[in-house]
Amino acid sequence: MLTSALAGLAAGGTYALLGVCAVFTYRMVAVVNFTGAAIGAAGTFAMVLLNEQGVPLPAAVAMGIAFGALISALIGAVMARWFAGASAQTKAAVTVAILVGMIALGLRITGGQHPHRLPELFPGAAFSLAGVVITIAATVSILLAVAFTTGATLFLRHTRAGLQLRALSEHPMAAELTGIRTRLLTVLVWLVSGAASSLALMIVAPQRAPNFLSLSELIVPAFAAALLGFLRNFWLTVAGGIALGILEGVASNLVSLNQYRAGVPFLIILAILLWAQRGARWDEIR
Amino acid sequence: MKMRTWSPVAAMAALVATLTWLGGVSPAVAQSGPTCKDGAIKVGAVSTITGPADFSEVPKAAKAVFDQANAKGGINGCKIDYTIEDDKADPQAATQAARDLVDNKGVAVLTGSASLLDCAVNAGFYARQGVLSIQGLGVDPACYNSPSVSPVNVGPYVLSTAVLYYASTSLKLDKLCAFFIIIGGTQEAYKQAIVNWEKLSGKKIHLLDLTMPIQGDYTPFILKARDAGCQGVLFNHIEPGVVQLVKTAEAQQIKGIDWLFLAPAYTEQVAKALSGTTQPVYAGTEWEPFTDVKSPANKDWRAALTAAGQPLTAFTQGGYESATILIQVLKGINGPVTRASVTKALHDMKPITNSLVGTPYYFGPGKTHDSSRATKIVKLVNGKWNVQTPNWVILPQPKG
Repeated sequence: MLTSALAGLAAGGTYALLGVCAVFTYRMVAVVNFTGAAIGAAGTFAMVLLNEQGVPLPAAVAMGIAFGALISALIGAVMARWFAGASAQTKAAVTVAILVGMIALGLRITGGQHPHRLPELFPGAAFSLAGVVITIAATVSILLAVAFTTGATLFLRHTRAGLQLRALSEHPMAAELTGIRTRLLTVLVWLVSGAASSLALMIVAPQRAPNFLSLSELIVPAFAAALLGFLRNFWLTVAGGIALGILEGVASNLVSLNQYRAGVPFLIILAILLWAQRGARWDEIR
Repeated sequence: MKMRTWSPVAAMAALVATLTWLGGVSPAVAQSGPTCKDGAIKVGAVSTITGPADFSEVPKAAKAVFDQANAKGGINGCKIDYTIEDDKADPQAATQAARDLVDNKGVAVLTGSASLLDCAVNAGFYARQGVLSIQGLGVDPACYNSPSVSPVNVGPYVLSTAVLYYASTSLKLDKLCAFFIIIGGTQEAYKQAIVNWEKLSGKKIHLLDLTMPIQGDYTPFILKARDAGCQGVLFNHIEPGVVQLVKTAEAQQIKGIDWLFLAPAYTEQVAKALSGTTQPVYAGTEWEPFTDVKSPANKDWRAALTAAGQPLTAFTQGGYESATILIQVLKGINGPVTRASVTKALHDMKPITNSLVGTPYYFGPGKTHDSSRATKIVKLVNGKWNVQTPNWVILPQPKG
């Protein structure tokens, strides 16, 4: 049982890291961004394709991260320009539409199902525990999730820009009226989020199915993790992501549950949504 | 005296005999070879081109063969009019595509189809309309047990049996395991493939797991195989899954397990993506290994596709074979080439050998068709696919 639980740790690190990016974007610019993983996939494949053309790995990584950040800023610009006043549902739906387009385009550009050789940023094993090799990449992704969370929390609480960002997220109109550079801050949030997702996926992609669609679909467990943090709390998101990975690992060994393994994130999302609505009266829901 | 009366009678007799003889010969001369209305033989294909899979290479290769035949004057002057339809892996679109080809265009036969669901959706319709399909790439189980479809490729089910057979007889592995992704209605076909192997080898499958998800982390499954003591594990994954499985095995530092895959693993891209691996990776091919550039069996296929500017992949071997077989069958038809005459020709045909495969292709009147039952095994060595079996591994038909 311990083996199967630990087997899911690498996946857990991935979900935690992507979940933190999702929460960061939601808290700062009030958008449930379903393109988070696809942006990361775009940055990752940019790195891969550049590396295949002979660009040395460190440069390719930097350019890939920059590319992911740029794509993210582009999406952010679209959201800010045309959907700033729209409801949360509309904004979420728009990101879904963008995601569908990105996947179609991404699959075409990266060769569909044909795999690429993904260079490993952190190859090798860190340590062994209960018969499971915990890779350096898995460890780094968990550490990165923690680092990003700590960094974001400190930044938001103790810096001037962080304060302005909090103001922006709470009351965008008021923030703009008091002279806060809302446009610049919004773009910065999207840039940082895009860069973080790209780096996250570059680290974990070698251990996942190396095609654009599979990597983009990581957004589902990422949001399950984000929901475990109620889309607010970074630390709960990190814990939730890791727990999700462990749960998937355990479920794969229980033969009776194994077939439903893929449904675990959805069940969690459903449970949380229902529990969040528990105080609402039925009339209101209707 | 006799001479005088003989001459006119003899002359008459000779004339009558000659006319009869000529009369007897000329219809035969006129009937020899296929004929066609409007100088065209209509052929179609239903393939998954857009959507979750892209098998367009298969019908495109068939088209290349037909174009080259047409350039040489066609078959007895008849040009092949080939239409490729896209079913988008959607049953609705597949149904419409089939009806468009069969009812609207009135095709005489289908050739080179490569689809995720053409057989399951349309085989019954084809049977009712009396049209047959020389499937260029059979994927779903219905392709192998319908009276109206006979694929040129081995297919994942017979290939699973064949690869396990190779593992137990040549690699001499005892504890063989299989992990399958089950989509659509393929569960029974895969289970039967395992049962067929057990009957042939006299062994029992050590671990059979039918619950692998299409997406997800594969670490728990790799560890499950290791902890169960599997010596060889068969997977039915497509390219991205193949790469992910081997990389996961590497990350977990697995030793002593042979990783066995089916035909989808056998691509140049997989070889490149796994170029640094030390894990033993095998794949079963459905045709003469296309990476073997020196193989004489591949000569004609290579020449034809290079001339057409098409990629040299295993898929195109299937398209090429299906088109070549159709042309051979058409040449044997005496008289008008119609749906009925082509169907009859396919039912009455003798098995046709082709250098690309180890067993002769056959349609025939049977209710099920899986005439392609031979494979060659390739192994990944230093980032290149290496042919392990110079002779075909031919799977005998299961008894009982």
